[in-house]
Amino acid sequence: MNGFNRSRLVIAGVTCFAFITLTLVFFALLGKPPFEMLAKLAIFAVGDAYSISQTLAKTTPILLCALAAAVPGRLGLISVGAEGQLYAGAIAGTAAVLAAPALPGILLVPFMLMSAALGGAAYGYVPGLLRARLNINETIITLVLNYVSVLLVNALVFGPWKDPDSQGWPATISFPQGAILPALPGTRIHLGLLLAVALAIGLHLFFTKSRMAPKIQILAGNRKVGEMFGLNFGFWVIALMALGGAIAGIAGIAEVSAIQGRLQPTISLGYGLTGFLVAWLSRHQPLIILPVALLVGGVVAGSDALQLYAKVPAASAVILQGLLFATALAVPGIMKNMRFGLER
Amino acid sequence: MNVELFVTLAPWAIATLRSATPLIFATLGETLTQRVGVINLGIEGEMLVGACVGFAVGVATGNPWFGLLAGSAAGGTLSLLHAALVLGAKANQIGSGLAVWMIALGTTSYFGRALVGQQVTPLPSLGSPATDGVPFLGVFFSQMTMGVPLAIAAVVFASWWLAHTRPGLRWRAVGESAIVSAENGIRPNLVRLQAIVVGGLLAGFGGAILSVDYTQTWAQEMTKGRGLIAVGLVIVARWRPALVLPIGIVFGLAEVATLRVQSLGSIISPHLLATAPYLAVVVILIVSHAFARRGSSMPADLKSVFA
Amino acid sequence: MTAPIVQFDGVSRRFGELLAVDDANLEIYPGEVLAVLGENGAGKSTLMKMLYGIHPPSTGRILIDEKPSTIEGPADAMSNGIGMVFQHFSQLPALSVYDNLLLAWPQTPFWTGRRNPRIAPALQTLSRLAPEVNPRAKLAELSVGEQQLVELCKVLNISARIVIFDEPTSVLTPAEARSLHGFIRQLAEDGAAVILITHKLADVEACADRIAVMRRGGIVDISQRGDREMSEIVSLMMGKEVKRTLSAPKPLKRRVQQLFIDKVCAEAPGAALHDISLTIARGEVVGIAGVAGNGQTLLAEVVAGIHPVTSGDVVLDGGSIARFAENDTLATSLGYIPEQPRQNAVVDGMTLARNLNLRALAKGARSDEVNPEDLLRRFNVNPPEPDRLAGTLSGGNLQKLVSARELGSFRSGILACYPTMGLDLAAIEMVYGEIFAQAEAGAAVLWISEDLDDLLVAAHRIAVLREGRLVAIKTNDGTLSRDEIGALMTGLNTSEAAA
Repeated sequence: MNGFNRSRLVIAGVTCFAFITLTLVFFALLGKPPFEMLAKLAIFAVGDAYSISQTLAKTTPILLCALAAAVPGRLGLISVGAEGQLYAGAIAGTAAVLAAPALPGILLVPFMLMSAALGGAAYGYVPGLLRARLNINETIITLVLNYVSVLLVNALVFGPWKDPDSQGWPATISFPQGAILPALPGTRIHLGLLLAVALAIGLHLFFTKSRMAPKIQILAGNRKVGEMFGLNFGFWVIALMALGGAIAGIAGIAEVSAIQGRLQPTISLGYGLTGFLVAWLSRHQPLIILPVALLVGGVVAGSDALQLYAKVPAASAVILQGLLFATALAVPGIMKNMRFGLER
Repeated sequence: MNVELFVTLAPWAIATLRSATPLIFATLGETLTQRVGVINLGIEGEMLVGACVGFAVGVATGNPWFGLLAGSAAGGTLSLLHAALVLGAKANQIGSGLAVWMIALGTTSYFGRALVGQQVTPLPSLGSPATDGVPFLGVFFSQMTMGVPLAIAAVVFASWWLAHTRPGLRWRAVGESAIVSAENGIRPNLVRLQAIVVGGLLAGFGGAILSVDYTQTWAQEMTKGRGLIAVGLVIVARWRPALVLPIGIVFGLAEVATLRVQSLGSIISPHLLATAPYLAVVVILIVSHAFARRGSSMPADLKSVFA
Repeated sequence: MTAPIVQFDGVSRRFGELLAVDDANLEIYPGEVLAVLGENGAGKSTLMKMLYGIHPPSTGRILIDEKPSTIEGPADAMSNGIGMVFQHFSQLPALSVYDNLLLAWPQTPFWTGRRNPRIAPALQTLSRLAPEVNPRAKLAELSVGEQQLVELCKVLNISARIVIFDEPTSVLTPAEARSLHGFIRQLAEDGAAVILITHKLADVEACADRIAVMRRGGIVDISQRGDREMSEIVSLMMGKEVKRTLSAPKPLKRRVQQLFIDKVCAEAPGAALHDISLTIARGEVVGIAGVAGNGQTLLAEVVAGIHPVTSGDVVLDGGSIARFAENDTLATSLGYIPEQPRQNAVVDGMTLARNLNLRALAKGARSDEVNPEDLLRRFNVNPPEPDRLAGTLSGGNLQKLVSARELGSFRSGILACYPTMGLDLAAIEMVYGEIFAQAEAGAAVLWISEDLDDLLVAAHRIAVLREGRLVAIKTNDGTLSRDEIGALMTGLNTSEAAA
């Protein structure tokens, strides 16, 4: 292991340690016994079969949204649009189901997934196009567009897609059996997880071994040089943003189909932002995203359970994620400062 | 002026100004921050804590002004985290801003639960027996609070300060090049810290105005992306404080128009209408980019963040 | 015997493993011009930056007025009456001249509006030195010579007793350089201690009273001007007997047109090209002379196919190589050595081997064309480790890396922009050797250089670029003079330039 990798591992270790410390402080500030809470958090995340199933259920959308951010991230784009793309995919996938509810599952599921992917891709295509042609910063556009597709879902489920039998609760009809993603019986581990892991591996191979990998690396490293040698930055911006959107779209329909069973106003609990955080922490490397998404999924699932059983506030999951993010951002810089101080 | 025209337009104008006020404060704050070469996506979080703390203090003390000040202070305090990450740990600016936003989302969600449904004493309107009788302006005064004049004053002052004072010159210099500023005896990190905190104070104030003055209520995530929109509007305003006012007003107009159409009970879904302001931002950004000369007014040191 | 105003006493400065300044001992007196002479990387700038407070000395001490210096940063330096005119101007191009001057002036009042009478003193030097410059103009709109005058005004505004010039004439025309030499002498005559950091002998000959020669971080010699022959000084600078190996080009037997630049017009923010036409034959070396900022970068990028043309064409070997629209996909067919290699020619995060292979990688091919280690050694890239990341290389080594990539195999057209910038003499010889070898093998070479002397020795023809036009294309038959080219570069006629 050369020095470069060793220092990365050290940073990861220090970050974990700092984060755990902050978590303990957080629990203490809430007036709960910190170590006990931390232990409970871990148990609720992976302690028994049910917990593991919950963790994996949370990991799936987080993993997909992380990949959705990592794909454009390989080119140096900062896309925080997975949330919006997720909702867009949910709309497109639901549209497919509502259009052909009687199709047998073997046809309906792929049709639904592909529609969702296309919907998410379209929603990623727009900011990609704006960046490629007009050089409008994709971060701001994706952040703003997030709000739009959420509102579109509301408009649809309060309006034309509202299930007349649902008595004022805004939602579509329950998805027919053929549209529900197959899952391991009795658990919430569904096809979406399999797809996500497969995507992660596929993207890893694509970004490291394919012929196109160096092209993306060159453009990400120095756009001018890439263009000098015949690469087209705009093409890759659009392609990767659309691909990322497609992945997030699948996350959206997976949540609707496998977890909720129909389209409702709240599909995602901030998975888009969480996914972005995971991608960032993993330096946009799909193989590292796998374990990190699992870790964060465990924290989220565990916090959910803590809320029920230990009266820890529901917002803890978000706060803990923010703390994790802040810690991961702070540690490398602080360690560098300390090293400089020692050298002087 | 035609009295009927005035009577129709006046409520629109007043509502537009009131709607724009929180956004103007946030955009002004972010403009100043970006002028020194730092981007802070955390102003969404700073607005949110400003709204939450402002509302809480306003309710607890019964005095809206205390609420506004407290909200402002909360925004400024949160911005210290961004400053610490970006200046101290040299962290990536976009990541840091998002982390700050996340933390604010979580903490306001938790602390805000107790505030839902509470009532706050609003700011007094500017109207008084002396002004009520004045034609035209009397109407304005009676329906506005100090929020609007403060926003206008802040923009005017910031614009003058940045262009015509020595500290303003130093801030602009740091935004152009931290290295050259250091060669001229300025401490760029100190200036950047000041600008980030000022941005946080203004954003927090804007958030407090939103909850204490404009809506007079608290709801989770009530800023609904206004802070993020502000970041986009800074670009549209070409980083000039003076342009923050008209651009904020345009956006306020879009919001008010949406509300009016919604209340007229049109067949269009209110949710669909609610997307209008966001789409307006996207359109404004497109138009602005299509017409602006390439990267000509962006503070030079900011370019490295975006590149 | 007047007391020295500045003394360096055993001063050293280390950056990590690099010893930039090694045990420097030097005294500087008021009223004199001290030239600090040395090659790129000799440590001259670093030494004076320590005086100015930008870096503290690692060992040793600096005395001002015979007392230890308390300067901890440029602000202290300025309030102590030390001014520095930087090589890469310490300026903010997007701000106005007015703003730049006020920024550097310690007595700027709180209110900086034009009407404030306390502002007036800061503008007086400007109206004296450069009366035609509008203070409201953005600094970027000024010519380089005018920008340097603004730098000078900043220094005069602080009534500096010690003025440091860091390579001031590297971007000036011969006439502007002469004007600057006059100012420098005037400053010394008015009593200031002037330090002139340079690698150009012309500067030394024009205004130095004493000469300190630095080599590899150490001061190797201090002499009064006239005590030594210039050739001795040069040897002290280089450390060995030096013969310029740049030789006159072999005349072409036949003209076979290879690279056509045909009525090219292009536009970019801040620069434009108008009707550029030039044909370069097989084996011919054409040099482009011009003051920096007259369109050289745009010309290079247009010929290399990076920047689109608004009209006209660039043809190589019968095929068009120009870019017509922003979003076209086009790989450059030339061997292109851009200026500022770190920004324009390498990918920091990739290894040296991959950087050498960028052309193939960008096409999606896998095979290495050349053995990377051999190529690195041939071009003296240090360290010659193919798996090293390009970002760890110094500027000079990056320049060599790019040269290795572009000159490593035969190209029918070569575009070299300032190819020897930042290189030491051995490397300069090597790069020129490779470029001219390509020419002899039949390449058409377009060479943009800031060094008029090099162009006058080695180019077949010299074209002068001014304000985006080629104002002259002269055959280099031995009769061209620096003044003549200088006049064409600035637009003065020859008699004015010589005045």
